[in-house]
Amino acid sequence: MNGFLGDWIGAIPVFAAPYLLATTGLIINERAGVMNLGAEGIMSMGAVAAVIAMLSGLGLPAAILLGCVAAVGMTLLFALLAVVLRLEQVLSGLVIFAFGVGLSGVIGDSFANQPIKALGPVFPSAFAGMPRWLAHLLDQDPLTYFAFILPFIVWWVMERTELGLRLRSVGENAPAADAAGVNVMAMRIGAVLVGGIVLGLAGAHLSLVGSQVWVTGMVSGRGWIAVALVTFSRWNTLRAIGAAVLFGAVQAVIPLLLSSGLHVPIYLIQMMPYLATIAVLAASGMGRLRASAQPEDLARPFLREERR
Amino acid sequence: MPYRLVLSPRLAVPRWLTAATLIGGIVFGLFCCAIFLIAFGVPASDLGNEFVLYVFGNSAGLDQTLTRAISLTLVSMSVALCLRIRFWNIGVEGQLWMGALAATAVSIYQIGPWFLRMPLMIVAAMVGGALWCGLAAVAKVRLRADEVITTLLLNYVAYLLAQDLLYGHWRNQADQFPTTPIFPKFEQLPNFGGWHLHYGVFIALVVVVFCWWLCRYSRFGLLSKAVAENRTASRALGIPVARITLTTACLAGAVSGLAGFSIISGEEHKLTQFVGNDFIFPSIAIAYLGRANPIGVLIAALAVAGLYTAGDSLKAFYQLPDTVVVTMEAFLLMTVAAFDVFVRYRISILRQRPKAPVAVPVEGQKA
Repeated sequence: MNGFLGDWIGAIPVFAAPYLLATTGLIINERAGVMNLGAEGIMSMGAVAAVIAMLSGLGLPAAILLGCVAAVGMTLLFALLAVVLRLEQVLSGLVIFAFGVGLSGVIGDSFANQPIKALGPVFPSAFAGMPRWLAHLLDQDPLTYFAFILPFIVWWVMERTELGLRLRSVGENAPAADAAGVNVMAMRIGAVLVGGIVLGLAGAHLSLVGSQVWVTGMVSGRGWIAVALVTFSRWNTLRAIGAAVLFGAVQAVIPLLLSSGLHVPIYLIQMMPYLATIAVLAASGMGRLRASAQPEDLARPFLREERR
Repeated sequence: MPYRLVLSPRLAVPRWLTAATLIGGIVFGLFCCAIFLIAFGVPASDLGNEFVLYVFGNSAGLDQTLTRAISLTLVSMSVALCLRIRFWNIGVEGQLWMGALAATAVSIYQIGPWFLRMPLMIVAAMVGGALWCGLAAVAKVRLRADEVITTLLLNYVAYLLAQDLLYGHWRNQADQFPTTPIFPKFEQLPNFGGWHLHYGVFIALVVVVFCWWLCRYSRFGLLSKAVAENRTASRALGIPVARITLTTACLAGAVSGLAGFSIISGEEHKLTQFVGNDFIFPSIAIAYLGRANPIGVLIAALAVAGLYTAGDSLKAFYQLPDTVVVTMEAFLLMTVAAFDVFVRYRISILRQRPKAPVAVPVEGQKA
């Protein structure tokens, strides 16, 4: 298990974690009925803020925190447009996408292409006795561990607590939730902000663990893939783990193929995650499963004064 | 909370209000851009120069603005057409790449005699773009795959395909740069004497006029209006919703493909890596600012092209990165869209009186 396959399996968690974090964050949004297409821009801001913190000599915890703060800033703007002003959610998301990608490019310009110290493993020596691939698989940094724990916490809150029930009711039928005394706007803003924190973590993971450097445009469509993975995992954070591992595996095989010395068409290989996403999106749209899982009031602004 | 913000939908919107909010949104957006640029080190006194004089005032700036406006008008027309049936086309860059690739293929494999070469390139570009957008539309109609995501991801696929060809089969063998050889003269759109501006202007104008006719006077335009208003009702009335969606998407893709042709044949004179650079968000911003109306799109495209000319001089003089222009566009679209709230809703702040305590009779207690 040590050659190619072992390297591949060992690399999957690091590539899967940003997908998992982003998908989990977006599921929190969408269960409350808010479709956030700005994920790509929010993740860019998280990634660049974490790198700027590292290069300014702040520690790793501060870098992660700053990544989240930057992401929450973008998310607040999104909440203002989509939830408070009731703009069309697709348009609000696209604006945040462009704003985040653009602004991260501007503020990160003087910090670009400078390597940073990586976020290291939590237990460097705990897996010494195991086979190399297994040690490689289990020995991860704190953000990656957190990425794989968070879906369980979110699932439990969603399905087993009153808070989760209220949140889901806002996403399924906002007028009914409103009539039952749930503050729809507060619920949606809260869900968007919490989702934003998680998207910030996803961005920070990309730059602190994945690339260990900031390059303009480095999120390169991962935010959009995460939006598609929400549909693929049918708005369930536990299924999101499987979806993220699948896409992590696709992404992890690319650098291995490129460094294997085999003669492979580099650019065609890089298409894989995008083509896989389209395939998965088409496949998950076909069945009746999707219709039953999609929150009924997804992307529909709620205004008490408006007749539905 | 003693105060409550109430938004009540307006039934009739006065014309002056629509105009006032649009102007208000643009002015506020430009104000945000100015603050943003000052924060990144551009002296406030230079802003007027950069934005007005350089962009429209001298012939070099005007030339650059008008040339840029050709491709911007075409891709934005593509988004606007789709927006009219509420289909989000976020994939103009990919469609533009596919159009450019198809046109280049006609040139490289020398299809047709020389006098038919350019018409063939134009047709190929339209087919290439139409296929790329049509793919997303088929996935939406048949498989219910969300077009926002599929069109966007197809951008990356088209870009990578172009890279593969530029570093592979189509690479210029003479100098090993990742570009194709320069096209022969009869495959190049002519320039206006001494300017960069080329005959692609006529392509853009023809497309605008055609779309204006299509949206305003054709049966197709009327039916697509119905589809935009209510898909279910249209279906019940027997309007072929799926066919209209597919046709619109293919038409829009063809228009984006034309933008690709105009860039390689009129500006670059060869296929390079920079053909489809930075069109996704500008096209959406222009289509929205132009209210998805062909004439509005033309005006908005000219204005945003000016923003790019200003951006180029900002890059040169103040070392600001490329993404500064996209950030400014985001500011503009954000404020214009946010100001729209005044058009759609009547906004009032209601004061809530504290609730009077209600006396609840308790059982067994004498009043």
